[in-house]
Amino acid sequence: MRIRTILAEPMLHFVLIGIALFTAYRWVSPADSGGRRIVITQGVVDDLKAQHVAARGREPSTSELNHLVESYVHEEILYREGARLGLERDDIVVKRRVRQKIEMIAEEDASTRAPTDAELSAYLVANQARFVQPAIVSFEQVFIGEATSGRRVAYAAAVTREALRKGADAEELGRATLLPHRMARTPADLVARDFGASFAAALEKVPVGEWVGPIDSSFGAHYVRVSHRTPAVPPQLAAVRDHVVREWENERRQRARNDAYTKMRAEYQVSIEAELTTERR
Amino acid sequence: MRQLVIGTVLLAAACGGPQSPPAKPAADATPAVQLGGPPSSAGTATADSGEIQPADPAKFHKEPGYSPYAGRRYPERPYFGDEHVHTAWSVDAGGSGATLGPEEATRFARGEEITSTSGQPVKLGQPLDWVAITDHSDMMGMITEIKGGNPEMMADSTLKRWRDMFNGGPVEAKKAVMELVAAQANKKLPPAATDPKFAKSVWAKNTTIAEKYNEPGRFTAFIGYEWTSNAGGGDNLHRNIIYRDNKDKADQVLPYTTFQSENPEDLWKWMTEWEKTTGGKLLAIPHNGNLSNGRMFALTTFSGDPLTKAWADARQRWEPLFEAIQMKGQSESHPSLSPTDDFAAYELWDRGNLTQTPKKPGMIAGEYAREALKNGLKVEQDLGSNPFKFGMAGGTDTHNGLVAAEEDNFFAKFPSAEPRPDRWDEDAMNFGPDRIVKGWEMTAAGYTAVWSTGNTRTELWDAMMRRETYATSGPRMIVRFFGGYDFTQADATRTPSVAGYAKGVPMGSDLPAAPAGKVPTFLVAALKDKFSGNLDRIQIIKGWLGRDGKPQEKIYDVVWGDKDRRTIVDGKLTPVGNTVDVATATWTNTIGDPELVTVWRDPDFDPSVRAVYYARVLEIPTPRWTAYDAAYFKIKITNPKVPMTTQERAFTSPIWYSPK
Repeated sequence: MRIRTILAEPMLHFVLIGIALFTAYRWVSPADSGGRRIVITQGVVDDLKAQHVAARGREPSTSELNHLVESYVHEEILYREGARLGLERDDIVVKRRVRQKIEMIAEEDASTRAPTDAELSAYLVANQARFVQPAIVSFEQVFIGEATSGRRVAYAAAVTREALRKGADAEELGRATLLPHRMARTPADLVARDFGASFAAALEKVPVGEWVGPIDSSFGAHYVRVSHRTPAVPPQLAAVRDHVVREWENERRQRARNDAYTKMRAEYQVSIEAELTTERR
Repeated sequence: MRQLVIGTVLLAAACGGPQSPPAKPAADATPAVQLGGPPSSAGTATADSGEIQPADPAKFHKEPGYSPYAGRRYPERPYFGDEHVHTAWSVDAGGSGATLGPEEATRFARGEEITSTSGQPVKLGQPLDWVAITDHSDMMGMITEIKGGNPEMMADSTLKRWRDMFNGGPVEAKKAVMELVAAQANKKLPPAATDPKFAKSVWAKNTTIAEKYNEPGRFTAFIGYEWTSNAGGGDNLHRNIIYRDNKDKADQVLPYTTFQSENPEDLWKWMTEWEKTTGGKLLAIPHNGNLSNGRMFALTTFSGDPLTKAWADARQRWEPLFEAIQMKGQSESHPSLSPTDDFAAYELWDRGNLTQTPKKPGMIAGEYAREALKNGLKVEQDLGSNPFKFGMAGGTDTHNGLVAAEEDNFFAKFPSAEPRPDRWDEDAMNFGPDRIVKGWEMTAAGYTAVWSTGNTRTELWDAMMRRETYATSGPRMIVRFFGGYDFTQADATRTPSVAGYAKGVPMGSDLPAAPAGKVPTFLVAALKDKFSGNLDRIQIIKGWLGRDGKPQEKIYDVVWGDKDRRTIVDGKLTPVGNTVDVATATWTNTIGDPELVTVWRDPDFDPSVRAVYYARVLEIPTPRWTAYDAAYFKIKITNPKVPMTTQERAFTSPIWYSPK
């Protein structure tokens, strides 16, 4: 075997790196008294017990507790040995977990104070549109068919109108459909979820208590009667407080996270010493 | 370490998905023929009678009375949601770089626009009605939260000092962290900091977020988690645990982890204990039988023992639903188990388990829902209890916090697979040569539809428990399925739920005993998603136990679109056709029907054998996410193995028949 081949041997590299790491560690690491000594204090045991209670809803038995302690020791030793080799340092999973923790710290930090009414009012005014209380409608509908224009629709609408005038049961009219025949006290945006936005918008305009149509939905044409309607109203803080608090807190949380990073970033000097263009050839 | 390595490798698993903004073809471009009679005109017979109907007591409830809510005795609409969502708080998701936590994920599910991990703005085409954030149940130590400045804590001088240091400069803050970490490691934290009422775990944060966004009547945010058992190194036995109750109960006990046990029987024991301790209720939804290497529906216990009645009872009690489709493929049916099923070869991930350890012959039989439903009949006959009496669910299993399962809005499973030109051709999972899943194999699916009386935790949960659910591959089609002995074609001409509940039982139920000489009849109906493709057909899939004790199956095409031009030739319905223009990722709803309804009578009924029936609804072909990707990024996907169209579908929970 030529020297060259031996030098190329990965195993050799591994051993050399190992020796280097070990020496470096011995050299830089201060005498760490706790390094190879693990003391199971009452505090550790109490902690393990508390974790067990949280997970199982009861105190551990003696044998379970002994097992928990043994697992703790096992994990502690392997972790320390791993950390001794610096295995946690360039581990991307560890890195991301640590990043998450510090972001959570930043968010927590910001979330200690409840918003004042003045802050909420200001937020509400600035974001009026997001908090509009949708119209609430109760209605029945008769499905006329998929077509939304043409003679057939007009005819079908006329037939339905006449039948209803004569007292026919609306549920027996029109074409069978899986769409709900009636909806009670439903916010207009949820009506839109089932029937489409234009249908929901139309229900906010038609006269209350009368059968009218045809009204188009995402599925076709309908004959409808709105029996009850509360119009959409601009938001009053008292009515949407929970919602405003939630949005306000969410914004503060995100801002806190970003601010924390911006602040830390400013403390760093980042120099890019590599080619960053990656246009494809 | 091993766990870490596996975790990291899993993270590398990416998947593909499109991003082009909705360029949906006009739905309902051409009115198609409607089922239940041609659209001659709108009115029915009563329209021309001109006579006042005699008083009919059965109709009294229909008169609009004072109470707008009276008359609501059964579920009137399905609520669409996702019971399977991971966020950055799941180790594998956070480790793979996902930055969106449960709060962002919940906001997204509610329909808010947010920025994805990869920096792209994203919003759902239609908001969901409910969601369960199910991060993996292993915990993340959060000792540092004590630094919030809580007045009770600030009574402690050490805590106050740390707090002040945190709020000082970065140097001070760092010192505080060091001290805190050291104190925690040496178990020398001030007592105020370890008081359980402040020892806020990630779990408590999680439940707080669910509570905040749970708005009865508008949006349900379930409390949940995933118990992630990868037995034998990657045999997927994962279960999502869904809570019926609120934070007060959920916080009493931490989630069960696989560090405690990988055996589902132990999970069921834990659930039993949990219910006893808290007085609340839980259910579990297993998923990805297709990646379990034969173990999801094995006919032995976890440890290899024969099944017992107690085991079967427990499984049926704790696992009322099975997630039959998600981003890692479908687990409804497999072509090798159902050779006569022309639609089983759909979004298959059938080469290995979660780590792509290759399958051995025979494993597939223990992985798919249909086979399990059939085998359950046999177990019931032998032991007196059916362990596989489950309904159907669908979820995304997203790991980037985005429940974006729409074909034209597919944000895939990991941040690395969010919309990018190359994602289809990259490895979604790479566990070594021959153990690779490609990006294009990722499935843009799915959701669970729940027939619930209202949109609240308890109502939705109760509907899941009674299995009144169906799975969809993404579209929000509305599907009804009722079984009984007296349905006639006339019942298919009116709102199906009226006759359905009056004369039969809904999906997820048992048929009552057959009256002498009667045959089961089924009322089945489907309405297209208003933004998606028309419907190709509805099938009823029947499984039964032959007199020889062998499970059998048969697929019946019971109603289909374009009735005037399609018919059954040699036992097969002629195909619906295909209008997809792959180059532009568009289609037209000029084929198929927007709505299908019929009553079907089992022509092969044998009252002496056990049977199970469920419905499968197929859409006409529409562009798959790969086509949206190709069109948006202007790339050529030349690999002929990559499907560019899809036939979206729904599978309902079954209805069971047992002889007296």
